[in-house]
Amino acid sequence: MTKQTFYGAALPKLEAAERQLVSLCTQCPLSHELDGESPAVLSCISRIKSPDSMIAKLRGRGLAADCQAALTAVHDAVGVRVICAFADDVYRVAGWLDAQPDLRCIQVKDYIACPKTNGYRSYHMIVELAGGPGQGITAEIQLRTIAIDFWATLEHQMKYKRTIPHEALIRAELKRCADEIASVDLSMQTIRELLTQSF
Amino acid sequence: MRLLLAEDERPLSRALVSILQRNQYTVDAVFDGDDALEALSSGNYDGAVLDIMMPGLDGITVLRRLRARGDLLPVLLLTAKSEVDDKVLGLESGANDYLTKPFAARELVARIRAMTRGQDDQASSQLGLGNITLDRTTFTISSPSGCFQLSNKESHMLELLLCCPGHPVSETRLLERVWGDGSGAEHSIVWVYISYLRRKLQALRADVRIRAVPGAGYLLEACP
Repeated sequence: MTKQTFYGAALPKLEAAERQLVSLCTQCPLSHELDGESPAVLSCISRIKSPDSMIAKLRGRGLAADCQAALTAVHDAVGVRVICAFADDVYRVAGWLDAQPDLRCIQVKDYIACPKTNGYRSYHMIVELAGGPGQGITAEIQLRTIAIDFWATLEHQMKYKRTIPHEALIRAELKRCADEIASVDLSMQTIRELLTQSF
Repeated sequence: MRLLLAEDERPLSRALVSILQRNQYTVDAVFDGDDALEALSSGNYDGAVLDIMMPGLDGITVLRRLRARGDLLPVLLLTAKSEVDDKVLGLESGANDYLTKPFAARELVARIRAMTRGQDDQASSQLGLGNITLDRTTFTISSPSGCFQLSNKESHMLELLLCCPGHPVSETRLLERVWGDGSGAEHSIVWVYISYLRRKLQALRADVRIRAVPGAGYLLEACP
Protein backbone atom coordinates (compact mmCIF):
# COMPACT_ATOMS: atom_id res chain seq x y z
CA MET A 1 0.00 0.00 0.00
CA THR A 2 1.30 3.46 -0.88
CA LYS A 3 1.25 6.43 1.44
CA GLN A 4 -1.15 8.08 -0.99
CA THR A 5 -3.68 5.27 -0.71
CA PHE A 6 -3.42 5.02 3.08
CA TYR A 7 -3.24 8.68 4.11
CA GLY A 8 -5.29 9.95 1.13
CA ALA A 9 -6.24 13.62 1.28
CA ALA A 10 -4.31 14.07 4.56
CA LEU A 11 -0.93 13.28 2.96
CA PRO A 12 -0.14 16.80 1.67
CA LYS A 13 -0.82 18.21 5.12
CA LEU A 14 1.40 15.56 6.76
CA GLU A 15 4.17 16.37 4.29
CA ALA A 16 3.77 20.06 4.99
CA ALA A 17 4.02 19.38 8.72
CA GLU A 18 7.14 17.26 8.12
CA ARG A 19 8.80 20.05 6.10
CA GLN A 20 7.81 22.65 8.66
CA LEU A 21 9.34 20.68 11.54
CA VAL A 22 12.57 19.84 9.72
CA SER A 23 12.94 23.48 8.72
CA LEU A 24 12.36 24.59 12.30
CA CYS A 25 14.82 22.07 13.81
CA THR A 26 17.59 22.75 11.30
CA GLN A 27 17.22 26.48 11.89
CA CYS A 28 17.72 26.08 15.62
CA PRO A 29 20.08 28.99 16.39
CA LEU A 30 21.69 27.36 19.43
CA SER A 31 25.40 26.73 19.25
CA HIS A 32 28.10 25.63 21.62
CA GLU A 33 28.79 28.20 24.30
CA LEU A 34 32.48 27.50 23.88
CA ASP A 35 33.10 28.54 20.28
CA GLY A 36 29.77 30.10 19.45
CA GLU A 37 29.92 28.47 16.02
CA SER A 38 29.40 24.70 16.13
CA PRO A 39 25.64 24.21 15.94
CA ALA A 40 23.82 22.33 18.70
CA VAL A 41 21.79 20.48 16.03
CA LEU A 42 24.13 18.40 13.88
CA SER A 43 21.54 16.90 11.61
CA CYS A 44 17.88 16.25 11.26
CA ILE A 45 16.01 13.49 9.44
CA SER A 46 12.31 12.87 9.04
CA ARG A 47 9.76 10.44 7.70
CA ILE A 48 6.06 9.89 7.22
CA LYS A 49 5.33 6.54 8.85
CA SER A 50 4.93 3.81 6.24
CA PRO A 51 1.40 2.37 5.90
CA ASP A 52 2.64 -1.16 6.82
CA SER A 53 4.26 0.04 9.98
CA MET A 54 1.32 2.28 10.91
CA ILE A 55 -1.21 -0.52 10.32
CA ALA A 56 0.83 -2.91 12.45
CA LYS A 57 1.00 -0.34 15.24
CA LEU A 58 -2.74 0.39 15.16
CA ARG A 59 -3.67 -3.30 15.07
CA GLY A 60 -1.27 -3.96 17.91
CA ARG A 61 -3.24 -1.50 19.99
CA GLY A 62 -6.60 -2.94 18.95
CA LEU A 63 -7.49 0.18 16.94
CA ALA A 64 -9.04 0.56 13.52
CA ALA A 65 -6.24 0.38 10.93
CA ASP A 66 -7.28 3.45 8.98
CA CYS A 67 -6.08 6.99 8.30
CA GLN A 68 -8.49 8.51 10.80
CA ALA A 69 -6.97 6.48 13.66
CA ALA A 70 -3.45 7.15 12.33
CA LEU A 71 -4.00 10.89 12.64
CA THR A 72 -5.85 10.96 15.94
CA ALA A 73 -5.17 7.88 18.06
CA VAL A 74 -1.37 7.84 17.63
CA HIS A 75 0.99 10.76 17.32
CA ASP A 76 3.87 9.63 15.13
CA ALA A 77 2.52 9.64 11.57
CA VAL A 78 5.10 12.41 11.22
CA GLY A 79 8.44 11.71 12.85
CA VAL A 80 11.53 13.89 13.11
CA ARG A 81 14.88 12.88 14.56
CA VAL A 82 17.29 15.54 15.75
CA ILE A 83 20.93 14.59 16.29
CA CYS A 84 23.07 16.63 18.68
CA ALA A 85 26.76 16.40 19.53
CA PHE A 86 26.58 16.56 23.32
CA ALA A 87 24.17 15.29 25.95
CA ASP A 88 23.39 18.78 27.24
CA ASP A 89 22.61 20.02 23.73
CA VAL A 90 19.72 17.57 23.60
CA TYR A 91 18.07 19.28 26.55
CA ARG A 92 18.91 22.77 25.31
CA VAL A 93 17.40 22.08 21.89
CA ALA A 94 14.34 20.46 23.50
CA GLY A 95 13.88 23.56 25.63
CA TRP A 96 14.18 25.78 22.57
CA LEU A 97 11.61 23.70 20.65
CA ASP A 98 9.25 23.82 23.60
CA ALA A 99 9.39 27.62 23.50
CA GLN A 100 8.50 27.90 19.79
CA PRO A 101 5.12 29.60 19.26
CA ASP A 102 4.12 27.25 16.42
CA LEU A 103 4.66 24.15 18.59
CA ARG A 104 2.63 22.88 21.48
CA CYS A 105 4.31 20.13 23.44
CA ILE A 106 1.77 17.49 24.44
CA GLN A 107 3.99 14.91 26.06
CA VAL A 108 7.62 14.24 26.88
CA LYS A 109 9.31 10.88 27.40
CA ASP A 110 12.81 11.37 28.77
CA TYR A 111 14.59 8.09 28.08
CA ILE A 112 17.92 9.81 28.78
CA ALA A 113 17.07 10.36 32.44
CA CYS A 114 15.26 7.00 32.59
CA PRO A 115 16.72 4.67 29.93
CA LYS A 116 14.68 1.76 28.57
CA THR A 117 15.72 -1.67 29.85
CA ASN A 118 17.54 -2.41 26.59
CA GLY A 119 19.75 0.66 27.18
CA TYR A 120 17.93 2.99 24.73
CA ARG A 121 18.39 6.68 25.50
CA SER A 122 16.63 9.51 23.68
CA TYR A 123 14.39 12.45 24.47
CA HIS A 124 10.96 12.09 22.84
CA MET A 125 8.53 14.97 22.43
CA ILE A 126 5.01 14.63 21.12
CA VAL A 127 4.11 18.01 19.64
CA GLU A 128 1.13 19.55 17.93
CA LEU A 129 1.70 22.16 15.25
CA ALA A 130 -0.20 25.17 16.50
CA GLY A 131 0.47 27.30 13.42
CA GLY A 132 1.99 27.23 9.96
CA PRO A 133 1.23 24.92 7.01
CA GLY A 134 1.10 21.80 9.18
CA GLN A 135 -1.26 23.28 11.73
CA GLY A 136 -3.26 20.71 13.67
CA ILE A 137 -0.93 17.79 12.90
CA THR A 138 0.77 15.97 15.77
CA ALA A 139 4.27 14.60 15.40
CA GLU A 140 6.98 12.88 17.37
CA ILE A 141 10.38 14.54 17.67
CA GLN A 142 13.22 12.30 18.89
CA LEU A 143 16.36 14.01 20.10
CA ARG A 144 19.56 12.12 20.88
CA THR A 145 23.33 12.39 20.74
CA ILE A 146 25.27 11.28 17.70
CA ALA A 147 26.94 8.53 19.75
CA ILE A 148 23.64 7.08 20.90
CA ASP A 149 22.28 7.42 17.36
CA PHE A 150 25.11 5.18 16.20
CA TRP A 151 24.07 2.60 18.82
CA ALA A 152 20.38 2.91 17.91
CA THR A 153 21.15 2.13 14.26
CA LEU A 154 22.36 -1.34 15.17
CA GLU A 155 19.71 -1.89 17.81
CA HIS A 156 17.05 -1.01 15.23
CA GLN A 157 18.34 -3.71 12.85
CA MET A 158 17.64 -6.33 15.52
CA LYS A 159 13.92 -5.63 15.17
CA TYR A 160 13.99 -6.88 11.58
CA LYS A 161 15.84 -10.11 12.24
CA ARG A 162 13.55 -13.05 12.74
CA THR A 163 16.14 -15.15 14.55
CA ILE A 164 19.15 -13.83 16.36
CA PRO A 165 21.89 -16.29 17.25
CA HIS A 166 22.79 -16.12 20.97
CA GLU A 167 20.07 -13.54 21.39
CA ALA A 168 20.38 -13.07 25.16
CA LEU A 169 24.13 -12.57 24.87
CA ILE A 170 23.79 -10.10 21.99
CA ARG A 171 21.12 -8.12 23.82
CA ALA A 172 23.24 -8.01 26.98
CA GLU A 173 26.23 -6.79 24.95
CA LEU A 174 24.15 -4.11 23.23
CA LYS A 175 22.89 -2.97 26.63
CA ARG A 176 26.48 -2.83 27.89
CA CYS A 177 27.50 -0.76 24.85
CA ALA A 178 24.60 1.66 25.43
CA ASP A 179 25.70 2.14 29.04
CA GLU A 180 29.27 2.64 27.88
CA ILE A 181 28.34 5.11 25.13
CA ALA A 182 26.14 7.12 27.52
CA SER A 183 29.06 7.19 29.94
CA VAL A 184 31.44 8.44 27.22
CA ASP A 185 28.83 11.05 26.21
CA LEU A 186 28.99 12.45 29.73
CA SER A 187 32.79 12.29 29.80
CA MET A 188 32.88 14.28 26.55
CA GLN A 189 30.42 16.77 28.02
CA THR A 190 32.66 17.07 31.09
CA ILE A 191 35.76 17.67 28.96
CA ARG A 192 33.93 20.35 27.03
CA GLU A 193 33.09 22.06 30.29
CA LEU A 194 36.64 21.68 31.62
CA LEU A 195 37.87 23.53 28.54
CA THR A 196 35.99 26.59 29.73
CA GLN A 197 37.57 26.66 33.17
CA SER A 198 41.05 26.54 34.59
CA PHE A 199 41.62 23.55 36.84
CA MET B 1 37.80 -21.69 45.42
CA ARG B 2 40.22 -24.13 43.79
CA LEU B 3 43.61 -25.00 45.26
CA LEU B 4 46.53 -27.07 44.06
CA LEU B 5 48.28 -29.11 46.73
CA ALA B 6 51.77 -30.44 45.89
CA GLU B 7 52.89 -32.73 48.74
CA ASP B 8 54.76 -35.99 48.18
CA GLU B 9 53.99 -37.61 51.54
CA ARG B 10 50.77 -39.40 50.62
CA PRO B 11 49.25 -39.77 54.13
CA LEU B 12 49.84 -36.07 54.82
CA SER B 13 48.45 -35.17 51.39
CA ARG B 14 45.28 -37.20 52.02
CA ALA B 15 44.79 -35.56 55.42
CA LEU B 16 45.27 -32.05 54.00
CA VAL B 17 42.88 -32.67 51.09
CA SER B 18 40.25 -33.82 53.54
CA ILE B 19 40.73 -30.82 55.84
CA LEU B 20 40.65 -28.31 52.97
CA GLN B 21 37.56 -29.90 51.45
CA ARG B 22 35.80 -29.62 54.79
CA ASN B 23 36.62 -25.91 54.61
CA GLN B 24 34.85 -25.55 51.25
CA TYR B 25 37.95 -25.65 49.02
CA THR B 26 38.15 -27.71 45.86
CA VAL B 27 41.56 -29.38 45.95
CA ASP B 28 43.66 -31.11 43.31
CA ALA B 29 46.56 -33.12 44.76
CA VAL B 30 49.82 -33.80 42.91
CA PHE B 31 52.86 -35.52 44.35
CA ASP B 32 55.90 -34.03 42.65
CA GLY B 33 57.15 -30.71 41.36
CA ASP B 34 56.86 -31.48 37.64
CA ASP B 35 53.18 -32.36 37.95
CA ALA B 36 52.66 -29.25 40.07
CA LEU B 37 54.16 -26.97 37.42
CA GLU B 38 52.12 -28.62 34.68
CA ALA B 39 48.87 -28.37 36.66
CA LEU B 40 49.55 -24.70 37.46
CA SER B 41 50.03 -23.96 33.76
CA SER B 42 46.30 -24.41 33.34
CA GLY B 43 45.61 -21.18 35.23
CA ASN B 44 42.65 -22.89 36.89
CA TYR B 45 43.67 -22.23 40.48
CA ASP B 46 43.01 -19.55 43.07
CA GLY B 47 45.98 -20.60 45.20
CA ALA B 48 48.66 -23.26 45.65
CA VAL B 49 50.26 -25.04 48.59
CA LEU B 50 53.71 -26.34 47.64
CA ASP B 51 55.97 -28.59 49.68
CA ILE B 52 59.59 -27.55 49.25
CA MET B 53 61.19 -31.01 49.35
CA MET B 54 59.61 -33.01 46.51
CA PRO B 55 60.80 -35.50 43.88
CA GLY B 56 61.67 -33.85 40.58
CA LEU B 57 61.46 -30.07 40.74
CA ASP B 58 61.46 -28.78 44.30
CA GLY B 59 58.82 -26.33 45.53
CA ILE B 60 61.14 -23.30 45.26
CA THR B 61 61.92 -24.08 41.62
CA VAL B 62 58.25 -24.55 40.79
CA LEU B 63 57.52 -21.22 42.44
CA ARG B 64 60.35 -19.43 40.61
CA ARG B 65 59.23 -20.77 37.22
CA LEU B 66 55.67 -19.69 38.01
CA ARG B 67 56.79 -16.15 38.89
CA ALA B 68 59.19 -16.04 35.94
CA ARG B 69 56.22 -16.33 33.59
CA GLY B 70 54.43 -13.52 35.41
CA ASP B 71 51.92 -15.67 37.32
CA LEU B 72 50.86 -13.92 40.54
CA LEU B 73 48.96 -16.90 41.96
CA PRO B 74 49.01 -16.85 45.79
CA VAL B 75 51.45 -19.57 46.94
CA LEU B 76 52.09 -20.95 50.41
CA LEU B 77 55.23 -23.02 50.92
CA LEU B 78 55.35 -25.96 53.29
CA THR B 79 58.79 -26.54 54.68
CA ALA B 80 60.33 -29.04 57.02
CA LYS B 81 63.08 -26.55 57.63
CA SER B 82 62.70 -23.85 60.17
CA GLU B 83 65.93 -22.10 59.30
CA VAL B 84 65.53 -18.37 58.77
CA ASP B 85 67.53 -18.59 55.55
CA ASP B 86 65.03 -21.01 54.04
CA LYS B 87 62.07 -18.86 54.98
CA VAL B 88 63.75 -15.81 53.48
CA LEU B 89 64.66 -17.74 50.32
CA GLY B 90 61.07 -18.93 49.96
CA LEU B 91 59.59 -15.45 50.39
CA GLU B 92 62.17 -13.88 48.12
CA SER B 93 61.41 -16.47 45.47
CA GLY B 94 57.89 -15.14 45.40
CA ALA B 95 55.97 -17.06 48.07
CA ASN B 96 53.09 -15.20 49.71
CA ASP B 97 53.46 -17.19 52.93
CA TYR B 98 55.13 -20.27 54.40
CA LEU B 99 54.39 -22.79 57.14
CA THR B 100 56.91 -24.99 58.95
CA LYS B 101 56.10 -28.65 59.49
CA PRO B 102 54.64 -29.86 61.76
CA PHE B 103 51.76 -27.41 61.73
CA ALA B 104 48.21 -27.28 63.02
CA ALA B 105 45.56 -27.80 60.33
CA ARG B 106 43.66 -24.77 61.63
CA GLU B 107 46.68 -22.57 61.02
CA LEU B 108 47.08 -23.83 57.45
CA VAL B 109 43.42 -23.08 56.70
CA ALA B 110 43.65 -19.63 58.30
CA ARG B 111 46.79 -18.80 56.29
CA ILE B 112 45.25 -19.96 53.00
CA ARG B 113 42.22 -17.86 53.76
CA ALA B 114 44.37 -14.80 54.47
CA MET B 115 46.48 -15.38 51.37
CA THR B 116 43.46 -15.62 49.04
CA ARG B 117 41.36 -12.99 50.78
CA GLY B 118 41.67 -10.44 48.00
CA GLN B 119 40.02 -12.83 45.58
CA ASP B 120 37.27 -13.72 48.05
CA ASP B 121 36.38 -10.05 48.22
CA GLN B 122 36.28 -9.87 44.44
CA ALA B 123 33.56 -12.51 44.46
CA SER B 124 31.29 -10.20 46.43
CA SER B 125 31.91 -7.58 43.83
CA GLN B 126 29.29 -5.01 44.73
CA LEU B 127 30.00 -1.89 46.72
CA GLY B 128 27.33 0.63 47.52
CA LEU B 129 26.43 3.84 49.27
CA GLY B 130 23.02 5.49 49.29
CA ASN B 131 21.13 4.62 46.11
CA ILE B 132 24.36 3.92 44.19
CA THR B 133 25.92 0.52 43.52
CA LEU B 134 29.27 -0.14 41.88
CA ASP B 135 29.95 -3.58 40.44
CA ARG B 136 33.72 -3.94 40.54
CA THR B 137 33.85 -6.83 38.10
CA THR B 138 31.76 -5.25 35.36
CA PHE B 139 32.70 -1.59 36.12
CA THR B 140 29.03 -0.61 36.13
CA ILE B 141 27.55 2.05 38.35
CA SER B 142 23.81 1.92 38.84
CA SER B 143 20.96 3.59 40.65
CA PRO B 144 17.20 3.08 40.43
CA SER B 145 17.13 5.44 37.43
CA GLY B 146 19.73 3.70 35.26
CA CYS B 147 23.24 2.49 34.82
CA PHE B 148 26.56 3.49 33.24
CA GLN B 149 29.49 1.40 32.17
CA LEU B 150 32.56 3.16 33.57
CA SER B 151 36.11 3.05 32.28
CA ASN B 152 38.39 0.95 34.49
CA LYS B 153 40.09 4.01 35.95
CA GLU B 154 36.77 5.66 36.82
CA SER B 155 35.60 2.43 38.40
CA HIS B 156 38.81 1.96 40.40
CA MET B 157 38.67 5.54 41.62
CA LEU B 158 35.04 5.27 42.72
CA GLU B 159 35.90 1.98 44.43
CA LEU B 160 38.58 3.71 46.52
CA LEU B 161 36.08 6.40 47.54
CA LEU B 162 33.36 3.83 48.28
CA CYS B 163 35.70 1.85 50.53
CA CYS B 164 35.81 4.67 53.08
CA PRO B 165 32.67 6.80 52.82
CA GLY B 166 32.93 10.07 54.71
CA HIS B 167 36.74 9.94 54.82
CA PRO B 168 38.88 11.85 52.36
CA VAL B 169 41.18 9.94 50.01
CA SER B 170 44.19 12.03 49.05
CA GLU B 171 44.93 12.98 45.47
CA THR B 172 48.34 11.31 45.79
CA ARG B 173 46.81 8.03 46.94
CA LEU B 174 44.26 8.13 44.10
CA LEU B 175 47.10 8.74 41.63
CA GLU B 176 49.22 5.93 43.06
CA ARG B 177 46.43 3.39 43.22
CA VAL B 178 44.65 4.16 39.96
CA TRP B 179 47.49 5.28 37.70
CA GLY B 180 50.29 3.42 39.46
CA ASP B 181 53.44 4.52 41.26
CA GLY B 182 55.79 6.42 39.05
CA SER B 183 53.33 6.58 36.16
CA GLY B 184 54.23 10.26 35.81
CA ALA B 185 50.53 11.10 35.58
CA GLU B 186 49.73 14.73 36.30
CA HIS B 187 47.80 15.51 39.46
CA SER B 188 45.18 17.34 37.44
CA ILE B 189 44.07 14.06 35.86
CA VAL B 190 42.52 13.21 39.24
CA TRP B 191 40.32 16.28 38.96
CA VAL B 192 39.24 15.29 35.45
CA TYR B 193 38.17 11.83 36.63
CA ILE B 194 36.46 13.26 39.71
CA SER B 195 34.54 15.51 37.27
CA TYR B 196 33.51 12.49 35.16
CA LEU B 197 32.25 10.66 38.23
CA ARG B 198 30.40 13.68 39.56
CA ARG B 199 28.54 14.13 36.29
CA LYS B 200 27.59 10.47 36.15
CA LEU B 201 26.41 10.47 39.77
CA GLN B 202 24.32 13.52 38.94
CA ALA B 203 22.85 11.87 35.83
CA LEU B 204 21.92 8.82 37.95
CA ARG B 205 20.24 11.14 40.46
CA ALA B 206 22.51 9.75 43.14
CA ASP B 207 21.84 10.71 46.73
CA VAL B 208 25.60 10.71 47.34
CA ARG B 209 28.18 13.19 46.08
CA ILE B 210 31.93 13.62 45.85
CA ARG B 211 33.18 16.53 47.94
CA ALA B 212 36.62 18.06 47.68
CA VAL B 213 38.27 18.58 51.06
CA PRO B 214 41.02 21.18 50.56
CA GLY B 215 44.39 19.74 51.47
CA ALA B 216 42.96 16.29 52.27
CA GLY B 217 41.53 14.97 49.01
CA TYR B 218 38.07 13.80 48.02
CA LEU B 219 35.36 12.03 49.94
CA LEU B 220 32.06 10.40 49.12
CA GLU B 221 29.16 11.41 51.32
CA ALA B 222 25.36 11.53 51.43
CA CYS B 223 23.94 14.63 49.75
CA PRO B 224 22.94 17.24 52.32
